[in-house]
Amino acid sequence: MKRLLLGSVALTLAAFAGMADAKPWKIGISNTVQGNGWREEMVCAMKAQALASGEVSALNIAHRNTDAAGQSEDIRNLIQAGVDAIVVNPANADGINAAIKEATDKGIVVVAVDQAVTEPSAYIISNNQEEYAYLGAKWLFQQMGGKGSVVYMRGAAGAGADNDRDKGFKKAMAEFPDIKIASEVFTGWQQDQGKQQINDIIASGAKFDGVWTSGIDNVIVDAFTESGAPLVPIVGADNAGFVGQLASVKGLKGAAVTNPGSVGGAGVALALQILDGKKPAEKTVLVDPVLWDNTTDAGKAQIAAAQNPKLSPEWPVSVSIPGWTTYTMDQIIACKGPGE
Amino acid sequence: MRRLLSDSGWTLGLAGLLAALLVMTKLIQPDFGVSGLDSLGRAALPFALATLGMAVVVIAGGIDLSLASMMAVCSVTAARMMEGASDGQSALALIFVLALGAAMGALNGALVVASRVPDIVVTLAMLFVWQGTALLILNAPGGAAAPWLRALGVGGLTLPLIPEALTVWLPRSVIFLMVCLAVIWLPIRRSPLGLRFYAIGSDALAAFRSGVPVGRTKIAAYAVTGLFAALGGIAVTMSTGIGEPIPGPYLLAAVAAVVLGGVVLGGGRGGLIGPILAVFVLRLVRMDLTLMSVDPNVTTIVEGAIMVVVVMLGGVLAMRGRRT
Repeated sequence: MKRLLLGSVALTLAAFAGMADAKPWKIGISNTVQGNGWREEMVCAMKAQALASGEVSALNIAHRNTDAAGQSEDIRNLIQAGVDAIVVNPANADGINAAIKEATDKGIVVVAVDQAVTEPSAYIISNNQEEYAYLGAKWLFQQMGGKGSVVYMRGAAGAGADNDRDKGFKKAMAEFPDIKIASEVFTGWQQDQGKQQINDIIASGAKFDGVWTSGIDNVIVDAFTESGAPLVPIVGADNAGFVGQLASVKGLKGAAVTNPGSVGGAGVALALQILDGKKPAEKTVLVDPVLWDNTTDAGKAQIAAAQNPKLSPEWPVSVSIPGWTTYTMDQIIACKGPGE
Repeated sequence: MRRLLSDSGWTLGLAGLLAALLVMTKLIQPDFGVSGLDSLGRAALPFALATLGMAVVVIAGGIDLSLASMMAVCSVTAARMMEGASDGQSALALIFVLALGAAMGALNGALVVASRVPDIVVTLAMLFVWQGTALLILNAPGGAAAPWLRALGVGGLTLPLIPEALTVWLPRSVIFLMVCLAVIWLPIRRSPLGLRFYAIGSDALAAFRSGVPVGRTKIAAYAVTGLFAALGGIAVTMSTGIGEPIPGPYLLAAVAAVVLGGVVLGGGRGGLIGPILAVFVLRLVRMDLTLMSVDPNVTTIVEGAIMVVVVMLGGVLAMRGRRT
């Protein structure tokens, strides 16, 4: 009897030890934009990284179109669901602070990806949006010879990332005083809306020498080729469709600035590191963008290397972030999380 | 009498559904308790206030598609005025925002009455007008909310002299909602004005022939909707601590909860308790689906399916009731 008891105790202990080794963390995810290629890639990167890490037993995904109040609701629901960490793409920098604080007070690790939050208990891993706009705008203004007028096609009015990008764009404008804005529109990061707007601008006959876009890019090139209007230099993001056009459309001078949606995977990787007791030195980790232009050989080589016909044309082609994500290209395209 | 019974029957049915969902939530997540109820109340608050606003105008035979945009205008106005303001100034700012909401609503109503263009067209146009106005006031999320205002909607109820354990399960956000309902709607409902809302909603011509000033009543109904929209916008600011110029997903959610809550879209029938219960049902469904980690793309399908089934079931029951 005694032996049996001891044996079962040993077995239980072994089972616990085994569990501790497998580290079955439960991760919650909150995202507030649905049906956008960038965000879909982000969610797939989160799933793929959770699967590839082998440390995640379950993913709990709240993924819908909503505002900061709705995202706070989602975060509180994830707290109720008992997750160990929450990776969130915040609706804005301040609006979900209260919900994040409630989570971190309960010992839940919170990592904000893509955009920053001002709640100090959260970790942040984000693309440097100000630098994103500055890099592309500076290249564009140089292509335009430092003078002329530019069509400024922004993202969504009022969005945090759009504001940061506006700062970067204005910084570049300040360095090129002879550049004027011909037209400033908000695409809402919607393909159809952006296409309509550029068609209107072309049809109006207004003169412009370059187009800067906040990532609604391939439809802009389409509008030029379809209408037969003379091409001007165009800056976009590293969306697969646009990067393909940079390599294939004759006479197009353009540059893609990387804005990897895979930063979501990096967020999951960071959350797991923190759960494993390896905290980063700084609470904020910035991923800096890179510019690939099709006017230099080095840029052309980068564009050629980034092509992958299996990717959705609205996905950014930089599907992984060296040093952070460990999944394979096939894993992110499959878009399957643990237990799926 | 039978009509009264069937109306309150719908509300009772919704209350039963809500209770069943609460039990289900407890089964899915055994830890569900005071903090869970608090989360639910806080999530429901802006939706509930938007729904109240929509319910009033629908009862009066209209519909206000600019509701969520008006909420955004009120949210950014409140957040901008409260930034760096003292407690007293913040209270004044809130009163101003409530008046602003009522005025925007009254303007919507006046345009509908004066132009004779259908409600749905006028308020659709105003949706864009208010949306632009909100962005003019604040072009990016920002501003602040007074700490005392934020505290109004957080945590459980505590009353002096009564043991905390008795009241703490009741979220303050729910009390806030009940106070808004009691202060605004109860006096109207019991006054001739409330009766006129129902009268012009069920038959505007008959109401006119009975001496009801249809135009003025309609404007009043839209003003009440604007007042609730202001409260909804303030609730968003309470929840987030900032003002948000881009309208949230409140318009369609409010229409959904109004229908689910037993208010007839043609006007003239229904109350405000049903729609509130419907809001809690819809929020709780969302919570349960998150707790069960259902595929997020399936979640909205489930939400929609539940609505259709409940409304159809209600229709069938109502028809049976009429036959007997």
